Amino acid sequence: MSSRSGSAREYETSDRSPGLSAFPPVPESSENEAEGLIFYHMDLYGSKERFDIFPEELTGQDDRSLGDTRKESALSSEKFQRSQEAGYDLEKEVAELAKMYGLDEDREKELELLGGHLEMVESRWPPARTEKAGSQGSIYNASKSSSPMKDQSQSTKQQGLPGEASQDEEENKARAEDKAESHIGSGEGLSSSDMSDEWNSQAVSEEEAADVFCSTCKMPIRAFDKLFGEHKDHEVAQLPSAVESEKEEIHKNMCKLEEQIAQMENFASHLEEIFITVEENFGRQEQNFEVHYNDAVQVLAQKYEEQLEALGEEKRQKLEALYGQLVSCGEHLDTCKELTDATQELYLENDKANFMKAAVTMVDRLEEFLKKEVDLELSTLPDFEERVIDFSEVEQLMNSINTIPAPCAPVINPQAPNTATGTSLRVCWGLFSDDTVECYQLCYKPVSNERRSDEQAEHTLKVKETYCTITNLLPNTQYEFWVSALNASGISPPSERAVYVTAPSPPTIKNKKIRSCENAALVCWESRDINPVDSYTVELSKLIDEENGDTITESIVGIPNCEVLIHLQPTQSYRICIRALNLGGSSERSEPVLIHTTGTYFCLNEDTAHPLLAILDDGFTIACDELENPECDLPVYDNSFTRCIGILGSLIPFPGKHYWEVEVEEDTEYRIGVAFENTPRHGYLGANNSSWCMRHIITPSRHKYEFLHSGMTPDIRITAPPRRIGILLDYENCRLSFFNADIAQHLYAFNSHFQHYVHPCFALETPGILRIHTGIAIPRWTALP
Amino acid sequence: MALKQVSSNKCFEGFQKVFEHDSAELKCKMKFGIYLPPKAETGKCPVLYWLSGLTCTEQNFITKAGFHQAAAEHGLIVVAPDTSPRGCNIEGEDESWDFGTGAGFYVDATEDPWKTNYRMYSYIKDELPKLINANFPTDPERMSIFGHSMGGHGALILALKNPGKYKSVSAFAPICNPIQCQWGKKALGGYLGSDVSKWEAYDATQLVKSYPNSHLDILIDQGKDDQFLSAGQLLPDNFIAACTEQKIPVVFRLQQGYDHSYFFIATFINDHIKHHAKYLNA
Repeated sequence: MSSRSGSAREYETSDRSPGLSAFPPVPESSENEAEGLIFYHMDLYGSKERFDIFPEELTGQDDRSLGDTRKESALSSEKFQRSQEAGYDLEKEVAELAKMYGLDEDREKELELLGGHLEMVESRWPPARTEKAGSQGSIYNASKSSSPMKDQSQSTKQQGLPGEASQDEEENKARAEDKAESHIGSGEGLSSSDMSDEWNSQAVSEEEAADVFCSTCKMPIRAFDKLFGEHKDHEVAQLPSAVESEKEEIHKNMCKLEEQIAQMENFASHLEEIFITVEENFGRQEQNFEVHYNDAVQVLAQKYEEQLEALGEEKRQKLEALYGQLVSCGEHLDTCKELTDATQELYLENDKANFMKAAVTMVDRLEEFLKKEVDLELSTLPDFEERVIDFSEVEQLMNSINTIPAPCAPVINPQAPNTATGTSLRVCWGLFSDDTVECYQLCYKPVSNERRSDEQAEHTLKVKETYCTITNLLPNTQYEFWVSALNASGISPPSERAVYVTAPSPPTIKNKKIRSCENAALVCWESRDINPVDSYTVELSKLIDEENGDTITESIVGIPNCEVLIHLQPTQSYRICIRALNLGGSSERSEPVLIHTTGTYFCLNEDTAHPLLAILDDGFTIACDELENPECDLPVYDNSFTRCIGILGSLIPFPGKHYWEVEVEEDTEYRIGVAFENTPRHGYLGANNSSWCMRHIITPSRHKYEFLHSGMTPDIRITAPPRRIGILLDYENCRLSFFNADIAQHLYAFNSHFQHYVHPCFALETPGILRIHTGIAIPRWTALP
Repeated sequence: MALKQVSSNKCFEGFQKVFEHDSAELKCKMKFGIYLPPKAETGKCPVLYWLSGLTCTEQNFITKAGFHQAAAEHGLIVVAPDTSPRGCNIEGEDESWDFGTGAGFYVDATEDPWKTNYRMYSYIKDELPKLINANFPTDPERMSIFGHSMGGHGALILALKNPGKYKSVSAFAPICNPIQCQWGKKALGGYLGSDVSKWEAYDATQLVKSYPNSHLDILIDQGKDDQFLSAGQLLPDNFIAACTEQKIPVVFRLQQGYDHSYFFIATFINDHIKHHAKYLNA
């Protein structure tokens, strides 16, 4: 959006234009968010203070700051050494880091979990430091090796006081070591300039200062050494420039380190997130297993109980049957014994008669008894029945550990802005629960006010994703959507119904109604849909050269009507397109129109034309063939002139200057000028106070020109009849001027403060034609009479 | 050609000055008024010559016409010379108001005793512009001319006799056809002799007929209640007719209720300044 929107606002009510005020809400606090992600102390990397230390120190001039650095570097070197000694004791290091970075207690816990990562971070550092230390050490060594040489050059002094000299050397060495150590400790921060300063001071104490830098030996030397000393063939640089390049190098490394730190921070926070996710995921699965296995165990236990019970019952029945058989068997045996006993008694009977009496009875009883068959079959078998153990339920349970019950109803989202086109919609939905879903079943139908919605075909689609783009829809039409989730276990209930609407069809610009001037254009269009749209957007691109018109330079949004006044720049070409918008999105662009802001362009308002007036094909030539009875019984239209054979043009309602020309025949009588839109249609132009015009009359003696308003004209003679009349309407200066455009001659000017916008008007009073020319740049000579 | 400043008054950020000089053409001391617009302090400006009417001096126009504001706005130097030689001690020069002093008629006299001094045509055409261009920040290529009554006649004949010399011309109530009116007959007869054919060289209506096809935009304002119009001294219709015939573009505005005075001039002076500014500043 550009300043253009402001101009649109002038003409459209701003509260009705959603696009204008559609600024995204500002996030509440980005700082909080940042804290959530970055768990190193912000000060360490975020604060400029720390970084600035180094460049400040690099100057090495301020003794105080140098001292501070030493203190600090000593501190950090101590820490470093401690960690060295601890031999990468992880716990300790983490704690130390935490202290160093100002981490609070809560964070430490997380750090422990991420210890591995930190170790990685930490392990990157010591080598770097060691390397630095090594290189600095080598410098130191080199300098040491050079000092004896210097000493030799001062042999007299050295010889004079050997003890002192050696002592000095010892002291120097000790000092140098201290410094080297402090350099090591402070790590990247220390520069060679820092060092060179110190080396300088050291050199001063011995003799003159070093002023060049030996690139080969990586040490500052005196120029003298370059010429004669061991550095004779070495590459050297001026000390300041060497310092500069070294600083630059160190700065680069600093940047790299910062980058790495940032990377690591990001990675760590990412890991943290993953960690939480893993815990959540596994926890959920554990729960799932617990529930399902418990179910399965319960079912198994129940089965066991049932089986045992059935088995016991069978056993009892069998035993009972066998026992009964045993009892009857005993009874039978008793009877047999009794009969045997009775028979034996009978044998013992000595009385024949009694014997015979008894024997007959006995024989009958025996016969009877023996008639009975003895049942020796087993009534039941000793083995138990074959039982089928039903594991199907358990199986199902076991299977259902991985197949969760049928899902709940999904939640369909309301339509998101700009997701629709004229023929397609993108529908989105989601699941409220963590249900497993194989696919979704999406249904839709057009929304219809009439109650024959059953006839409207419902469409159903299977979708894997939680969104779907439906095509082949009608533009600017409402559709109802609902969705169900499916998995192996079944289908969910359908979601609520959501109404989505497709984007409108592109509008059609009314080419013939375009009006423009140097600073504005009035464009009208019509919607191609029956349903109303929310608003329109105008896109305009300034054509630098005719080829390059693809970049939209400006757009005006939130236009409620089918008409807009666009502010433009003079003498440019614009390509203008319209889009229609509704909730669903914006339509395709309309067919573009080209507008040139050279001069004023208007068209004739055919509705106002007198029935005898003809407009030729070019649209800008008006003609009249016959004049008899202009007031005769011609059909009268609402808006057309009835007496004066005239017509109005449609000028853009815009302040400023408007210029057009009218080509006339010398023998044609005419009235041309301007009039209010509501100028009386039954009157003559210029005869009332709502029109201003120049009239040409041919008298027997001469061409007569009148400049009419309210029926009055000044007395003006024009010696050269104009063929091409220029008309300049100047709202700013309240003037309407007429010119002989061929010779730039000023003819007359009305001075009138036009209360409303006016329109060009043209009328013929003799048969003839008038040719109207628009789109002409205002000639310079019209600036003055 | 020494100039002697007579007066200087600040006016609309510019200066209205009067100078006196010895005229070689007229053989006498001549005064002229000159308005220097503010723009003249920094750059060259076009010059607009004003020719006054009968009885006038350089003072009438600069004190009565009220042109200064428009001239300042459009950056025009406006030069207003006197209307005749003065103090030449010619017999009869002060006898009447419409002949002699104050009535030079912008002709070069051929008759004695006038022919030595009364050479206003050449003075306006050559000597004065030379003097002005030599002493003021002018653009010699851009000059226009206008006038009132006799001066209107002067402006028209100077423009018509010198095609291209003046960018534009305009007039207030000009004597359009002097050979046909009393003033003209008296003056032209006196300065040029009785041969009427010689008069035609100083008659605008006659000059139009032989004017070449060179563009000249003429603006004329005429008061409708001008007593000299009704007295037949001005005869604009003759001039309009000749211009119509020759297709020389004139816009002639007959202004209802206005007379021949400077009040009339002051009313329309701005239109005329703009008319000239349009061509001088083009």
